[in-house]
Parts: sequence; C-alpha cells; structure tokens
Amino acid sequence: MSRALIYGGLLAGAGLVQTAWLARIEISGAILDPLLPIAVAVGILRGATSGAVVGLAGGLLQDLLSGGPLGVNGLTKLVVGFASGLFERSIYIENPLLPAVATFAGTLLSEILLVVVGQVTGLGRETAGALPRALMQAVLNSLAAPFLFRGVRRIEVRLERSR
Amino acid sequence: MSELLLGRRRIAVFLVLVLFTLVLLSSQSRSADRRNVGIIGQAILTILLPVQAGMVRIADGISGMWERFTEIGRLRVENARLRAQVEALNREVARLREQATAAQRLERLLDLRAQVSYNGLAGRVIGRDPSRWFSTVVIDRGSRDGVTRNAPVVTPEGVVGRVIEVTPFASRVLLIVDARSAVGVLVQRSRDAAVVEGQGTDRLHLLYLSRAAQVEAEDLLVTSGLGGVFPRGLVVGRIMSVKREEGALLQEAEVEPAAQLGRLEEVLILLPRQ
Repeated sequence: MSRALIYGGLLAGAGLVQTAWLARIEISGAILDPLLPIAVAVGILRGATSGAVVGLAGGLLQDLLSGGPLGVNGLTKLVVGFASGLFERSIYIENPLLPAVATFAGTLLSEILLVVVGQVTGLGRETAGALPRALMQAVLNSLAAPFLFRGVRRIEVRLERSR
Repeated sequence: MSELLLGRRRIAVFLVLVLFTLVLLSSQSRSADRRNVGIIGQAILTILLPVQAGMVRIADGISGMWERFTEIGRLRVENARLRAQVEALNREVARLREQATAAQRLERLLDLRAQVSYNGLAGRVIGRDPSRWFSTVVIDRGSRDGVTRNAPVVTPEGVVGRVIEVTPFASRVLLIVDARSAVGVLVQRSRDAAVVEGQGTDRLHLLYLSRAAQVEAEDLLVTSGLGGVFPRGLVVGRIMSVKREEGALLQEAEVEPAAQLGRLEEVLILLPRQ
C-alpha cells in the first residue's frame, strides 16, 4: 500500500476524530489536535519535506472538516512539520521525551502562527487569553504525542519492510 | 555537495508549499463568505462528511446516554430531598389536624360547661387501666384543682363516670360501663325512671324499668338526678334493644353509652358551685 494512501487515511481518521469527537472535550479553551503531533512525528522520522507535506495536508483537511477558512491550519502545520524535520538528524529519536517535547514546542509555534496569520489575513483569531489557551493546547498535544509518534513510527517500519 | 543540493531542494519545496498556502489563504480572504473549498475540497468533503455525520451521531448517542445516567443520579438526590420534604409536611399536617380536633373538642366542652349548673373543670385523660380497658381512666386533675370524690365526669356526648380516687395532681374515674357503676336514669321520651348498670363490657344494662313503660330502641336515656352524684338531664346512652320476659314485672334493655369511652381524650369534671 502506498505511503500517500496510508497517511491520507491516517490524516482523514485523525481529522474526523478531532472534529466529530475531540471537539466536544474542551479544556480551558483548548481541544486536542492529533494532526499536529502526527506532522511533528513525520517531520522527525522522515525529514522536513515530508513533515511539511503531511502538515499541509493535515491542516487543509482540518480546515475542510471544521468549516474554517481554508489554509489557516494548513500553513501553520506546514511550518511546524517542516521545522520538526530540520532536527531530523540532530536529535536522538529513541529519547522517550522527544515526541512530547517536540510537540509542545511545535504547538506553541503553531499557536503563534495562527494568531499572526489571522491578524494578517483578517480571517480572525481571538488574541484575548491566547497564551493560557496555547499552553493548555501544547500540554494536551504533548500528552497524545508519544502514542501518535509510536503509531507513525510503526507505519514507517512496515513501509520500509514492505519495500 | 549533494547535501547542499538536498537542503536547497528542501527549502524550495517548503517555499512553494508556503506560497501555495498563502495564495489559497488570500483567495479565501477575498471571497465573499471567506471560504471557497474548490472542486478537490468538495470531492473530499463529499466522501468525509457522511462519515463525520455518523461519528457525530455516535458521539451524540454516547453523550445522551451519559446525560441520562447523570440525570438519574441527580433525580435520585432530588427524589430523596422531596421525600424528606413530603414526610416533614405530612408530620406538620398531622400535628395541625391534631391541634384542630383538640380545639374542636375543647370548644364543645366549653359549650357543655355553659349548659350545666356546675363548675366545669376540663381535664385530660392521662392513663387507662390496662387490665380492664373500659373500667377506669386517670385524669390530670386532682384535689389541688378542686376535684372531689364522686364528682361527675362528662364529655359533650354524654356521661363518662364519676371520680373514685383523688390525689393532689390526678384522679381516677370509674366509667359507667364498669360493673361497679350504677346511674339513675330517665327515658327522655316517656320519662320512665330506671337504672343503668355497667357490665364490664362496652354496653350498659338498663334495669328496674316498669313493665308498663313504653320504651323502644333508639330511646335516649338521661340522668334522673336521683342518687346525688349526677345532675339531672345529662345524656347517658341510647337503648339498643328491649327485653320483655313473659310474666316478669319489670323489663330490661341493652344500652349503648353516649360517650365514646374507648376514645376519651378530654373530659369535663363537674364541681358544685361554691
């Protein structure tokens, strides 16, 4: 099975779970976003280009399903996925804290970008209470990151074996 | 060298993707409803939206179940609170009913006191003879209240009995149904004189009634005033049945006491006016 199809399915599944189920569980204004840890994981495991592509695809899918302006999440996750990939060779991927720490930093970057993009394009993003919300969002994503990282890694191992 | 090329290619791809997204974003911000998903987006949504709707329905179902579950707990608490409230209100209603009936009884006692030429002293029944239920009762009035031996005791319904023992704070009353009790009576309708005696049951026995007396069931008996204990005219009871034996000089009858002796609560002790 092709990598694109598998990641397409993974992103669609994660996007659907987020918009249909996780969106109901709001903690201090934050909602778990599984697409971001996936983009971070792909960036770390496959490199910046793959991270950027998966991030963009996941973000656009999220925009499509959530009904928001198309491209807002696409751009932020593209940047986060790419940025994660820049550390591809300089970090020790077996470190158990890596997914959580990388996702925490990636989420903060994403939240900053969302505010900036919203302000620049006029598509709007409420800035009041943005910092606590961003921190909570980073915590939530970091908690889910180790599981999603393990899942992405398993996909990669299987794809490598099937070659 | 290849590393450098790879890095440049990576940057180039990134910039192209960013450019693409910015173009997409700017087209969104320019469109009237700030959202234009295009043909590809429409196709993706056509596939995913039904799935999303199904997942939302599942979540709604689970959410509804959870709400019902928590609602049951809340209703249980509410139910317990309301039950406690109902019990408290029932107790209050019972207390108020008791007060109302006591007030009615006392009102009737006051009426009776105004009718008789004795001083009426209201008393409360505080004890009954457990061995002989219908024979004697103890009332909360004694010699300190002016109660004397043989003082008549009545209720608005009729004669109860007479005082046989007096202590400073309580007295014992011999009920008219006691076998030791005898009261001189008149048949109210025919004015025939007779005596009612207790039998140790809840009925009285009418004795010494002339054979010529025209009495029948439902006739009312009142005290005759003879004997010096009960004043004249107090209701004693009602004739239930008359017994006329062949050749006998007198006739007898069974009488139901007018006062409800099994349910006495407040009574009036009649004391001679000073």
